Amino acid sequence: MGNLSINLKPNFMGLLKCLNSINWFIVFFSLINLSMCIYEDQIGKFDWRQSYVGRIKFAQFDTVSTARKIIVATEENVLAALNLKTGQVVWRHVFESTSSGNIQLLHLSDQIITVTGSNPYLVRGWDLSTGVLIWEWGLTLQKNEHTDFSEWWVQNGLLVHMVPKFGSHIEVSVYNVATGHNRGATSKLPAVWINEGCVLSPPYYTCISGSPGNQLLLSMDVTSDAVQIISKPLAEYTTARNANLNPFDTNTVIPGFLLNEKIILIRGNKFEAINIAVSEPSASVALVDSASGPLVLQTWNDEAKGFTLTAHNLVSGQRVNEIGWSDRSLSIPEPELSAVICTKTAREQHVCRILVTAADDASHLIQQEGRVLWTREEALANVVAVEFVDLPVSDLDAAIESEFDQKEAAKMHSSVLAAFTRRLQSQFQQLQGAVRTLLAGDAAAADEPPPLVRDYFNLHKIMVLLTDAGKIFGMDNLSGEILWKLYEPNLNTEAAVMFTRRSARHPPHDAYLTIVGKHEETGNGLIVSLNPIRGTPVGEQTLHLDVQILQCAVLYKADAQKLHALILLDKDENVQILPESSAPLVENMYMHVADRSSAVVRGYALRHDGERVSAKNIWSVDLSGGGSQRVVWSVSKPAAERIHSAGRVLPDRSVLYKHLNPNLVLLLTEGPDPVHKDVVVATCVDGVSGGVLSAHVHRRARRPALPLHSEHFLAYLYYNDKQRRHEIATLELYEGPERWVPAGAAFSSLRGARAPHVQRHAYIVPAAPAAAALSATERSLTDKHVLLALSTGAIVELPWALLEPRRALSPAGEAREEGLVPYAPELPLPAEAVVNYNATLLRLTRIHTAPSGLESTSLVLATGLDLFYTRIAPSKTFDLLKDDFDYYLISVVLAALVLATYSTKYFAARKMLKMAWK
Amino acid sequence: MSQLKSNKKLKWALDFNQKNKQLSTELPSPPGYSQSSNANYAESSKDSDSNLLLIKKLWDVALGPLKQVPMNLFIMYMAGNSISIFPIMMVGMLIVRPVKALFATQSTFKMVEGTQAIGQKIVYCIGNIVNILLALYKCQSMGLLPTHSSDWLAFEEPQTRLEHIGGGLSLI
Repeated sequence: MGNLSINLKPNFMGLLKCLNSINWFIVFFSLINLSMCIYEDQIGKFDWRQSYVGRIKFAQFDTVSTARKIIVATEENVLAALNLKTGQVVWRHVFESTSSGNIQLLHLSDQIITVTGSNPYLVRGWDLSTGVLIWEWGLTLQKNEHTDFSEWWVQNGLLVHMVPKFGSHIEVSVYNVATGHNRGATSKLPAVWINEGCVLSPPYYTCISGSPGNQLLLSMDVTSDAVQIISKPLAEYTTARNANLNPFDTNTVIPGFLLNEKIILIRGNKFEAINIAVSEPSASVALVDSASGPLVLQTWNDEAKGFTLTAHNLVSGQRVNEIGWSDRSLSIPEPELSAVICTKTAREQHVCRILVTAADDASHLIQQEGRVLWTREEALANVVAVEFVDLPVSDLDAAIESEFDQKEAAKMHSSVLAAFTRRLQSQFQQLQGAVRTLLAGDAAAADEPPPLVRDYFNLHKIMVLLTDAGKIFGMDNLSGEILWKLYEPNLNTEAAVMFTRRSARHPPHDAYLTIVGKHEETGNGLIVSLNPIRGTPVGEQTLHLDVQILQCAVLYKADAQKLHALILLDKDENVQILPESSAPLVENMYMHVADRSSAVVRGYALRHDGERVSAKNIWSVDLSGGGSQRVVWSVSKPAAERIHSAGRVLPDRSVLYKHLNPNLVLLLTEGPDPVHKDVVVATCVDGVSGGVLSAHVHRRARRPALPLHSEHFLAYLYYNDKQRRHEIATLELYEGPERWVPAGAAFSSLRGARAPHVQRHAYIVPAAPAAAALSATERSLTDKHVLLALSTGAIVELPWALLEPRRALSPAGEAREEGLVPYAPELPLPAEAVVNYNATLLRLTRIHTAPSGLESTSLVLATGLDLFYTRIAPSKTFDLLKDDFDYYLISVVLAALVLATYSTKYFAARKMLKMAWK
Repeated sequence: MSQLKSNKKLKWALDFNQKNKQLSTELPSPPGYSQSSNANYAESSKDSDSNLLLIKKLWDVALGPLKQVPMNLFIMYMAGNSISIFPIMMVGMLIVRPVKALFATQSTFKMVEGTQAIGQKIVYCIGNIVNILLALYKCQSMGLLPTHSSDWLAFEEPQTRLEHIGGGLSLI
């Protein structure tokens, strides 16, 4: 209510506002939390953060320091230490997400040594316990080719770098680890027999070479001074046609490799085949040291027995029974042994701790007897799509609802008596429930997880997270707890979309959520339908299509089962409706498809001709601008968007009507330009008629990103190449002082084309934004705020009023009275607008917002390397009591007032009586 | 009779030497008192004067609202056009008072039945209506009347749509 100082032009709404503001002042001192940021004691009350590191690439147990840890290096270019007991991140370093941050080597001695990047390389030493950088040196190779296959390892305190040049030679350089001092320069070892199929088992480099049928198994110690090649005919070891060499997943003992399903070690410059069979071709094999000699560990996912792990003594070939087990309950697809540590207890028993990484990116630390100490769902470091799903109402509420449901009531209780008994019944149930909660008290409530039913304000929801690995998670939004998970190995989520096709509001029917993705191998459509509350497959379950999907949409009309049909437009422009029974419902439905590279947008009208639905191409727009532009983003309005206000009130009390075209699509294209270097074009296209409503060109700009689209306004970011900064362009579409269609009438894109009045501005964002989202509330009554995730790890909440394109440079009378902020080119990003206070969120990629049952509150989930959930109140929590509202005080005051009233009444009566006797 | 005579003669002469010879029960009239003239006067005013007075009084009542108009104008001028608690209270009074008075017209003119009653009522009503109009004008100038489309914007039905769209970037 800071705008009280701004002189409000008096009008009727002004009076309301004035009364409202008086109200606000009363409220300010009593009930409502007006502050934008949270108080220190509110940290973690409405928000949570989960830190992830990504799929584990290298892992090693820290046996040196006292606090037991696992040091991991991941595919996400993160170096982290995980607590051995809990799996929590102790410390974490996030490197660049590009190839310069790629971790090539992780080596543990008294400190951690990492090699990152790919020419130039950075070699760094980190402190084991704190993760502090101790030393660092860089290395740039003169020749850039062949470095993709280069290998690094540490041997006798020296860092070895090997670059194989296939069919020619191997270049080996040895450096002092800490200083980078090159010990003996680079040596070139002639080796014409090397190829892509070679494996390294430090210090041996092993290849299969030669013509088919006459193949040789060759190996060479690349670090020895004298070049010595071990050569044996391949036929001695395997008779298989296509022999494959594979390295061990973990090897801390003897150089060796896997030849098909055979373990071959290199000992004393000789190959030595080990008499331990690899049980499964897909098994992950590790060679580890233990107190009773080296062990061979194998793990695979057996179809019958589930997750299986076996161990053999390398020397004797005997199976070590206390380490092997199999467990059906563990679902670890394609397990891979990331790190193993085996010790012996006092009772001469092997104790192993095994870190297993699965194909679904999850890491499990498994102890003896298959006891999983902890599991890290690292797939969540790569969330692709998020959907907030409402929870179903509780049984009791459902019963009451059905009682008042007209249709149901007509069916079931025709007589008054039946209705009355039903009423009594539900009253009794309510009473029972109340008594039960009273009896159970707080103790039981604390132990049990809260039931998955909707709460009064609908703040409790389930978030369905689709990850890059193809794993789908159901997560409780209040606690961040994973409720269910589903791994779909064939799902390619590159361009996957997720739809809630039926909410949990229709009690006999389950909620229904559909994911449309691609098959990992064929690229054909793969549709996964599930119940988002329980994570169980429903309806179409997992459907493999035999054609590629061009686009998909959900039908706006629901069928008799309250299910919204899924419309699939395939590559050949055929339409498929799921379920097919909904085909007659298709009407007034249009689809558009933007091709990325050709920048052609095609619009299709979907028609039902009595039998099937067909798509007819009715328009196409070429945005290529002479062939150089390509479409980067296409964004339409949120499907279930409600718009509260149809216009803006101007100071002279007239209305500036918004152009609320629900079919508007914003397309962002970019491409090179002969004059202006790079050009970004933003085009507003009507998704039904294909009409271009406005187009804006940004010269010398690149990387258009993060489009926002809601109501009548649009925003997008781009990088200004000339000024070298990020800018945000905002557009607002207005119809003018007269409305085009009468209030309450249906909007049609086909009814005469009139160009809306477009207002636009660009603002400088003094940071590098990584993600953006608009706040969403149930009825859109509250202000819209923009959430900007910055690369610094902060999420900033900006009111739309600051981004408004109507901000004039120097507002004259009218504009000033309207309360518009004067235009300032740079957007303020104040620290108190940071939603995530000091919880830095690394590598944020997306922000998702969802409305809650409270009009003031919007739920926010930020995904990236970290997950962060919070709730925001753009117009403050006007419908909610303050968090620390003193219920106790107010009830005491009320009770005291009631008491005082009755006692004074009594005394007054007594006094009257006395006076009457006088 | 002589007494009366002498009294008549010496209307303004006062005889202090009169003995208490005749202690008649009939006290002399106080000086300057003329019974006849007095009676005559009372006789004539009883009929016309009280009626006139009442009519006058009622005209006062009937014209009261009209007489308030300049005062109200002054109050309105002083209150200004800004919206804050006192001007709002004043405007509220300006509206509420005449409306209340209008409703109370019947009771105000209850005791009157006369030739001018209808006229008075009409004037009274007109006066109050003028006051209401003044108050409304004040509201209008303060911008408190919902006369613009912007005032009804919040109550409008939301726009519906005929066509529905789906799609986006090619998924291939």
